[in-house]
Amino acid sequence: MVEEFHNELEKLKKQVVRMGNLAQDMLKKSVKALKEKDTDLAKEILNCKNEIANMDEKIEQDALKLLTLFQPMAKDMREMATVLKMITYLARIGRYGKDIANITLELAHKPHVKELVSIPYMAKEVDSMINDALTAFENEDVESIDGFTAREKNVDELRYSIFRECLTYMMEDSKTIKRCARYIMVARYLERCGDHAVKMAEKVFYMVTGDHIDLDPPGPTPDCEL
Amino acid sequence: MSKKTSLEMEVKDLDLWYDTKQALKKVNMPVYKNKITAIIGPSGCGKSTLLRCMNRMNDIIDKCRIEGEILFDDKNVYRKNYDVVELRKRVGMVFQKPNPFPKSIYENIAYAPRIHGIKKKKSLDGIVQQCLKDAFIWEEVHDRMESSAMGLSGGQQQRLCIARALSIEPDIILMDEPCSALDPIATAKIEDLMRVLVKDYTVVIVTHNMQQAARVSDYTAYMYLGELIEFGETEQIFENPQEELTEKYITGRFG
Repeated sequence: MVEEFHNELEKLKKQVVRMGNLAQDMLKKSVKALKEKDTDLAKEILNCKNEIANMDEKIEQDALKLLTLFQPMAKDMREMATVLKMITYLARIGRYGKDIANITLELAHKPHVKELVSIPYMAKEVDSMINDALTAFENEDVESIDGFTAREKNVDELRYSIFRECLTYMMEDSKTIKRCARYIMVARYLERCGDHAVKMAEKVFYMVTGDHIDLDPPGPTPDCEL
Repeated sequence: MSKKTSLEMEVKDLDLWYDTKQALKKVNMPVYKNKITAIIGPSGCGKSTLLRCMNRMNDIIDKCRIEGEILFDDKNVYRKNYDVVELRKRVGMVFQKPNPFPKSIYENIAYAPRIHGIKKKKSLDGIVQQCLKDAFIWEEVHDRMESSAMGLSGGQQQRLCIARALSIEPDIILMDEPCSALDPIATAKIEDLMRVLVKDYTVVIVTHNMQQAARVSDYTAYMYLGELIEFGETEQIFENPQEELTEKYITGRFG
């Protein structure tokens, strides 16, 4: 019976990694679609919406079933708790991908204010954080989440720099407001995804070590004065 | 659980041999006052042996040799001339299989107080009633006090045995697998009872049921092959055990 539980738990964790890859993919592709104004790709992402929601639900149900039947303890319990938290964060990341895809479709008929550089760069940073959190989860090794606090701060800074850049464009030319407002939202979504990566890393740290850690301690907020 | 805790009993460097086989190896363990301490571990790890040391029940076993100390009121219960009868009066015990005396329900409870010198019927009546109430069984038996205790269900018999242990007002109640012969409903009643009793008594319980240890105890000790591997607050032991052996046992990755 115990072996059966451990096999099921392994399967569950593999499902979480698959869900993680899908969420990562949705976010990555959404920014690519935005940058290249690729509406086909954006629509493809919208189609993934149900898939990730189904995964979220399926993993949750499987996890609750295991909790009920086996009442795991110690590390087993921590793995189950981490799985249940991770899927919520991953579902949100996927949904932000969907939101960015929607923005892509909204902005499709107009050129970008300028070539998008900061947003794809920020997306790359966030994606690598999600990736490292998932790797830590998969390998049960917290090494890859070292330095998450600084990386999260960096993502926050990027968001504010995009915010300031957009304000400048908007003040210069009111015709850019509609587009820039969307860019600011995208930066906000990406920053939230970074936060989710940090929360996942904290849960993985708990899963592996049994200790709670705060990877995003309160500190000075980036200067957003104009 | 960070509430103030004081020591009720302390096991210090305890070794025990059954003939040539060493069953306990340098065991050190505190027993905190008004707390439930659970001892868990695989069969044959020495948990019942350790429990039985606490009121010197192992004295009656041939070729059982003990070194080390168990401090109770700052006195080593294994020192020469220690009053064992007094010790067993203050450290009561409840066993795995309910073992009421083959007497009436009333006599089961009145027996010990009577041999300890309480003769007045009125006083005995009071003690019997109070103990049965404290053990949550009064409602079920008050109208058949003269019936044989052997006619009670297993769960009722076990609560009667707990009431019997309470009748001489012990400080500590030792329980050796008190629920393993009971169904889940009777088990839940005993567990609830333990949480109530711990307000006035100190409880040490040996159990194979890890969920039970997690549910009822404040502290948990994990033993393996006669050694105390880990002792800590129950939450910590079941959420984040520090020793790999404990982790393996608790998660069933054992052997």
